[in-house]
Amino acid sequence: MTDHPIIQADRQNGLDNAGKTTILKKFNGEDVSTISPTLGFNIVTLEHRGFKLNIWDVGGQKSLRSYWRNYFESTDGLVWVVDSADRLRLEDCRKELSTLLLEERLAGATLLVFANKQDLPGSLSKDAIREVLALDDIKTHHWCIVGCSAVTGENLLTGVDWLLDDIAARIFTAD
Amino acid sequence: MAALGVEVYVANEDGETNTAVNVPESVLRRDQARLEEAERRRNVKEKQAVKEEKSDFFTSTFNAEKTAVEEMLSSSNYSDRDKAAKTLEEVTVRIQHLQKFLNDSIMFLTQYEIRQAQASMQKLQSSLAEKREAVLPKKKFAFRSRNAGASKQPEPSQQTTDKSASGVGGTVAVDVNQCGFSNAENEVLIKQAEEIQQRDVLLSHLTNCKVRLYGCPSTLHIKNVRSCEILCGPVSSSVFVDQCTGSTLVLSCQQLRTHNTTATQIYVHVTSRAIIEDCLGVRFAPFTWTYPGIQDHYKVAGLDPDRNNWRDVDDFNWLAAGTPSPNWTVIPETERICSWDSVGSPS
Repeated sequence: MTDHPIIQADRQNGLDNAGKTTILKKFNGEDVSTISPTLGFNIVTLEHRGFKLNIWDVGGQKSLRSYWRNYFESTDGLVWVVDSADRLRLEDCRKELSTLLLEERLAGATLLVFANKQDLPGSLSKDAIREVLALDDIKTHHWCIVGCSAVTGENLLTGVDWLLDDIAARIFTAD
Repeated sequence: MAALGVEVYVANEDGETNTAVNVPESVLRRDQARLEEAERRRNVKEKQAVKEEKSDFFTSTFNAEKTAVEEMLSSSNYSDRDKAAKTLEEVTVRIQHLQKFLNDSIMFLTQYEIRQAQASMQKLQSSLAEKREAVLPKKKFAFRSRNAGASKQPEPSQQTTDKSASGVGGTVAVDVNQCGFSNAENEVLIKQAEEIQQRDVLLSHLTNCKVRLYGCPSTLHIKNVRSCEILCGPVSSSVFVDQCTGSTLVLSCQQLRTHNTTATQIYVHVTSRAIIEDCLGVRFAPFTWTYPGIQDHYKVAGLDPDRNNWRDVDDFNWLAAGTPSPNWTVIPETERICSWDSVGSPS
């Protein structure tokens, strides 16, 4: 019998308006209709499947991105949220992600990419996002892309479960 | 007293609190039946629990599956590339399932068993990786050049209509279907509800234009705009404003995100909050536009017409609490515009 493991920290990152806070609130069963742009950070602790998750929801604004790196110590998992309808900034999104993955302090962290806003008619499929973000080039991290909708809650569990499985496998191996 | 009453009720739990003293036989009978039912349920539960939570069961199931996967990896015919890909795919899935089975079982396994199982998993993973490397060497990426094309997209080569925009090269799907107006000067630009409903709409590189959007986009991007008057119906998520100068924006939305904008008036209906970042001389007032059908559009966008936090502006460059940001102000009531030129009309 083992103690309930603590997933030390999941970081939710992505550009502004990607839906990071909405995903977090929806997952926690809270109202998502009154969310304001995130000023700074939301830090939330959740229990899921016997795991304790410390989640940092980091604001996507430009002036905050340079501070992201200060909070990466002991990160087990990284959730990168993409606004699949925001074609205009996908290139921006790709650059930010690839810069982030160079972070030494994120080495070994599992990467979950949420292709959010799949409920919108103009959104790109998760395969298109995978291609634009060049995810297949990523060799340094375990990664997985999941199409989801934070508003309807579709596939949020699927993504988080994959993330937990991958992290759990790694942590228990290390033990 | 109330709390005491609750306790009594809970203790009896058959709902006959008031009559319990008068009819003891019925209570006894009920109690007997309840005990028997509980006993029966416990038996059933024990039977199920024993089967799935015994480590014998785990070990035999785990090892059987492990052996099966190993056999697949070693014995299969890997000469046909398609077949090999399919087999490897299946192996990957089975390994994932096995990992999940292990994770689900961890609660009742000993440390030793967990370590043994993890070691087996690692071995499986590495032999899968070896096999994959041997039979399906990684292909070179084909879309790197296409990506370079995509990065050129946001430049002024933007087209003004949906059709011509979709014709821009064979790049990755970006910007196909981009709805909106770009690169215009001294023009009147109108879009009707059905063209923009639930779409991401882009207005960029406009100078001295009057824009009317009679409908409810999903998101509205306003970028590189000078001396324009832009009016838009209820936007279900965010309006982005970036690099906007000397303009008047009349917007209704859930969130307003304003960046690098100067000397601009914003008449806004915002149901959460507005933010500004790197802005100067931005002035706010409540939304004052209306057109036939706007009430229905509020419903489509999911916005509450009675909730407007237009005054709650967060300045990301001004975090001092108590002192108001010098980067934005409220437009005095006497200066506010209440009626807007009717340009075009909603269909």
